[in-house]
Amino acid sequence: MTEPIRLAILGCGAITRSEHIPAVSTHPGVQLAALVDTDLPRANALIRNRGLNCRAVADYREVLGEVDAVVNALPNHLHLSSNMDCLRAGRHVLCEKPLAITAAEARSCTEFAEEKKLVLAVGMNRRFAASHPLLKLVIEEGLLGSIQNYDFQYGGAFDWRSASGFYFDRAKAGGGALLDFGVHMLDSVIDWFGPVSAFDYQDDDWGSGIEANVFLDLKHAGRFGEITGHLQISRTFGLKNRLLVRGVAASAEITVRDPEVVVIHRVIGGVPVSQTLTLQLEKFSGGSPYWRQLDNFVQSIANRGKPEVDGWQAVRVLELVESCYAHKRRIAEPWAGSGAESETSSGSGHSETRT
Amino acid sequence: MNWRNETVFVTGATGFIGGRVCERMVQAGVKVRALVHGMHRAARIARLPVELCPGDLLERESLREALGGAKVVIHCGVGPASSIVRGTENMLAVAHAAGVNRFIHVSTAAIYGITPPPGSESEDAPLRRTGDAYCDNKAAAEKVVLNYGKRGLPVVILRPSIVWGPYSAWSTRLMDDLREGRVAFIEGGPGACNTTYVDNLIDAMVLGLENDGALNQAFFITDGERVSWGDFIRAHMALMEPMPEVVEISRAEIAASRGKSSGLLLGSVKAAARVARSKEFRQMLLQIPLTEAAMKKAWNWVGGMPPEKRERLRARFGVRRAAAKPANAKFIPDAVTEATQSATVFFSIEKARKVLGYEPRVRFSEGMKLVEQWLRYAAYL
Repeated sequence: MTEPIRLAILGCGAITRSEHIPAVSTHPGVQLAALVDTDLPRANALIRNRGLNCRAVADYREVLGEVDAVVNALPNHLHLSSNMDCLRAGRHVLCEKPLAITAAEARSCTEFAEEKKLVLAVGMNRRFAASHPLLKLVIEEGLLGSIQNYDFQYGGAFDWRSASGFYFDRAKAGGGALLDFGVHMLDSVIDWFGPVSAFDYQDDDWGSGIEANVFLDLKHAGRFGEITGHLQISRTFGLKNRLLVRGVAASAEITVRDPEVVVIHRVIGGVPVSQTLTLQLEKFSGGSPYWRQLDNFVQSIANRGKPEVDGWQAVRVLELVESCYAHKRRIAEPWAGSGAESETSSGSGHSETRT
Repeated sequence: MNWRNETVFVTGATGFIGGRVCERMVQAGVKVRALVHGMHRAARIARLPVELCPGDLLERESLREALGGAKVVIHCGVGPASSIVRGTENMLAVAHAAGVNRFIHVSTAAIYGITPPPGSESEDAPLRRTGDAYCDNKAAAEKVVLNYGKRGLPVVILRPSIVWGPYSAWSTRLMDDLREGRVAFIEGGPGACNTTYVDNLIDAMVLGLENDGALNQAFFITDGERVSWGDFIRAHMALMEPMPEVVEISRAEIAASRGKSSGLLLGSVKAAARVARSKEFRQMLLQIPLTEAAMKKAWNWVGGMPPEKRERLRARFGVRRAAAKPANAKFIPDAVTEATQSATVFFSIEKARKVLGYEPRVRFSEGMKLVEQWLRYAAYL
């Protein structure tokens, strides 16, 4: 058996507490060496409360000499510089999404990792829910017949208790709902349906750059032909929180509530029926998606292979996000335009599909 | 005063009224500093070009920093009932010391109680203790505001009633309740609803900023229409497809039913614990840091929250889950709903008309159209 990979977690905010620590502390191939947070008491309290056997440091540069890899869960705007520091020191990186706040930054980081022959994995945890590969199989095996379109909705009252609150600071977050959560959805649909050939993007940003609601129409030109999709994200109200893929023969549904299964809906003899598919594969039999993501990272390091989600895939998504932001129209909010002192209309501009 | 050249400081900015105030100020081209207690609740206003200023009404020092150089304060913040007075006083003290030249205090017509007594139609009606923590503390806060007015802080007090509009829980909760059969017309639904469309209230705020004759005075602000609870409920029912059925119930029936149960179900510690822990509860209030240690505190907080919030809680967690009513049994509204919808007083806006120059711009029917558009957008329809 090979030596476990010595790992440091950068940032002790919400996602580290809820997902990365449980994954790291239960993975046999990993030895947690350090928790890093500028708020040292917070890191120490976490070590104490979770009974972890590692040290706490305020600056990640202090531990780069004693680890093989890092999980980077710092606020978005710090991803680039910290990733570069880690790669420069010869450490493999599993970085939370978004890999960077611009595509150019993500690209330079990815190129540098390639040059250094190090693993740079991006935290697209949804790829590691069983429904992701399952839907891929369903599509590839033609279970749905020719695919017509899809509808992907994710929304709820925002309640993410970020330790730093960086989410609502444009300079630190890099964007709003699209960059924060949309990257998961875009990564998934590109992986399933192929590259995006055209889009029409609207959001409700009134000038801060931190949109709360997103409407995005997409066209994919992949090996399954042209597929259109509608994507909706909200940080202010609940949506259906599911993906529905409509094919000529059947529809496939993935819900946020149970991302381990795909439900197939079809009509048999005039009667609507549903069938729940589960993936019978060892590597999807246990652990959280974050655990499987970590496991994939560990395997990639051991085999010097490519991780499931590498930097180039993140670049591709960030390029699309940037195009969306560059060609955005404002969502019409007729109920909001009635202010007497209003000088500008809040209505949307002209409609145009970008390619 | 020319408030358009000033920076406006908004408390309660992550709430329904404060959020809309921020939007309207941005539309007016005014610089806004928004007090934010829980950053995670700021999604709606984070999309606006406003300064998000972390702070807590209960920490005076934080308010000083958050206020910055703003010379206008619109105080929509509430917090737990037991802290209403202290939070308001902190804001007043900081504003006074900073030389703020207008302080709009958003009070409530509920200072006269959940069922205001006949005779409380006009602002000079005497106040008495209502026994409700929210109502009584909001009344006490008005006194503190007026005291600061005497000391030279230019204050204006607005007393809206049922503030509704896009994002309001009065509509979203009602839609949920209608869908789940948790609504009844009490005595047919003639109770006075006193709707106050949120934009009408903000019009009154703007008038309060512009009108020096309004200083040190309090004004009822409503839509000026005699909208009943029956009207309000029916207007929402009409949006739904298929239209839900709503039973009629008499007060006698409610009393008889209540005699059988042990009163308000949330009184029990067990029920309180269940509610406080549930995710649904947190999402509804979006306000409570939920650790085991904070649970008791959270629960005390529930006791002090505005009646409509408590009412929603009870509707959701008390009556529906614990009542175990037999199939086909009639829905029985809880005590707060009954009290709210039994109001007979329609507040007069004559003083606001005369002194402020207020005229409700959004009629109930127009407000409903806007609410309908928003409900569709927000996936409630």
